[in-house]
Amino acid sequence: MMSEHSPLLRVDNLKVAFGERRKRFNAVNGVSFDIHRGETFGLVGESGSGKTSIGRAIIRVYPTAGGQVLYKGQRISGRIDKALDRQVTREIQMIFQDPMASLNERAKVGYIVAEGLYATQKGLTSAQREEKVREALLDVGLLHEFASRFPHEFSGGQRQRIGIARALIMQPEFIIADEPISALDVSIRAQVLNLLSQLQKKRGLTYLFISHDLSVMRFICDRIAVIHKGVLVELAETEELFRCPLHPYTQLLLSAIPMPNPAHERNKTVLTYDEGMHDYSVDKPLWCEISPGHFVLGNQRELDNYKKCRLDLGIPQVTG
Amino acid sequence: MPDETILSVRDLNVKFNLRGRTLHAIRGVSLDVYKGESLAIVGESGSGKTVLTKTFMGLLDNNGWIDSGSILFDGEDLAKFREEKDWLKIRGRKIAMVLQDPMTSLNPLKSIGRQIGEALALHQGLKGEAAKRRIQEILLDVGIQDPAQRMKQYPHQFSGGMRQRVVIAIAIACNPQVLICDEPTTALDVTIQAQILDLIRGLVRKYHLTCIYITHDLGVVANVADRIAVMYAGDIVEIGSSEEIFYSPRHPYTWALLSSLPQLGIKGEELSSIRGTPPSLFTHIQGDAFAPRNPHALNIDFLQLPPYFDVTPSHKVRSWLLDPRAPEVKPPAVLSRIRREGDSLYDE
Repeated sequence: MMSEHSPLLRVDNLKVAFGERRKRFNAVNGVSFDIHRGETFGLVGESGSGKTSIGRAIIRVYPTAGGQVLYKGQRISGRIDKALDRQVTREIQMIFQDPMASLNERAKVGYIVAEGLYATQKGLTSAQREEKVREALLDVGLLHEFASRFPHEFSGGQRQRIGIARALIMQPEFIIADEPISALDVSIRAQVLNLLSQLQKKRGLTYLFISHDLSVMRFICDRIAVIHKGVLVELAETEELFRCPLHPYTQLLLSAIPMPNPAHERNKTVLTYDEGMHDYSVDKPLWCEISPGHFVLGNQRELDNYKKCRLDLGIPQVTG
Repeated sequence: MPDETILSVRDLNVKFNLRGRTLHAIRGVSLDVYKGESLAIVGESGSGKTVLTKTFMGLLDNNGWIDSGSILFDGEDLAKFREEKDWLKIRGRKIAMVLQDPMTSLNPLKSIGRQIGEALALHQGLKGEAAKRRIQEILLDVGIQDPAQRMKQYPHQFSGGMRQRVVIAIAIACNPQVLICDEPTTALDVTIQAQILDLIRGLVRKYHLTCIYITHDLGVVANVADRIAVMYAGDIVEIGSSEEIFYSPRHPYTWALLSSLPQLGIKGEELSSIRGTPPSLFTHIQGDAFAPRNPHALNIDFLQLPPYFDVTPSHKVRSWLLDPRAPEVKPPAVLSRIRREGDSLYDE
């Protein structure tokens, strides 16, 4: 069927657009990347950069305006047949940002977690469903008694665990986590991050982790793609990206991370980024692999500069 | 450090009545805020940090009341205020507040010029051209360019970060002495957060404001705070200068908060997290409120509330671990990654 090395998910020149002809707005404008089996792939950008639109286009909530999404080598964007649709619905799951808003207030936890089963595995008896709910709740560190309670009885961290249990019960292979911890307290964030990485180890899950906060991504992601206004500007392995950020926008994001260190914070300057700094009128930008696995967007002159920066690796952070 | 006290809280107890039960939200807090400083109050949700600052402005919900204690500000005891007209002298005029979510704290039906003008008209009696000039000045101060045009616009025409700038503009419009910022950047992107923090720091310096900054994220306050107070279950468990809290924290709860920061995490390892949940404030708490979650808890922690131990004149810690009779407990190793030398964590 498929070889070990082919990616689990391939996003190929993806475009997502909103609005009608004249007011058309391209939220995602030709984005391509591969996500390999078992890795955590990070997508980082500011609000409005299109990172959530990519996630939603993959899970088929938003229609694509161009390009395609391949899952296990099969196209899942656009029109697909019913069997594949069912497979994708089961195997790709999503975890949402705000656990206060994403759980049905009127349903008991047991139903919320089991809801996907009602839709995709109609043959189950209620005893079987209960058993699956119990397992899913245990997996995320909740007691099975919680199934008979309502969401308002839980704290933010527990609610996010319910959201994760709801995704897990479908036995997914690929999970899209859209800002799963930004609505949580710092002390709870650690618990949820730990839970996500434990589950990954135990079940061999693949994550697409969407966030605006690079400090969290460094902890959990294997590779990170930086998106700005619907276009990827840099993609690299996490350590490489932090050691040697090349694109000025990546440098801006890195400089904005708050550090728990007063001496460092008082002396730091947050960089600014203005697209006008690129002169792309003649020399068009290219998406270029500057070293193995490290991609960056730039025109020929910029790419030459980036290559030079990489050579002077003694200075990891390029300022200015 | 400036020594003139501007706000002095003594043994403050705040209670709420919830469905017939009494919730003890603030449990005997004493706190001095010095003139011109930036004080950060840090704690988990439910630790009482917002309730504490709401008492400074008379904004407690109807079911809450100050049970005992005093809040001295400007020669008056705010805890004794009963009537709304007493508060009008303070609220917005001397103490102003910036709230968490700029999407909900502005009126969508009024232009932002009018919303800033309201504050000016109410507190300073400014009208017409004079008010207009002042509004434009303030907008420039908070980094909004082209104020003559922008003041005619409505909140929906501003981005999240810009809206928060407008909220800050309203807060500083009447030259308050104290500015309370309640999680002003939680709803914002990291990049915008950095800009807003910079802005607040600049305004505090320019207007000689005293700033009380509330957050749940210790990572953020290193930028803005001169002093940090760590709150847990309605009480301050550790207070000290920013350097003291980050470089030599002494309370196990502060250790736990710091070491759960993802910035300090190492990929592939567990991020340290705090087990358990905060205690219920409906019931009487015996001893140290953090004891049940504290891996280093001593027997006495469950019996008797520890007093404040002075580490330095500015650094106070409420934990029995500082008693001379207590066994020596080392802070978690991960905290040694926060080093006094100002280099980035990512340079290793």
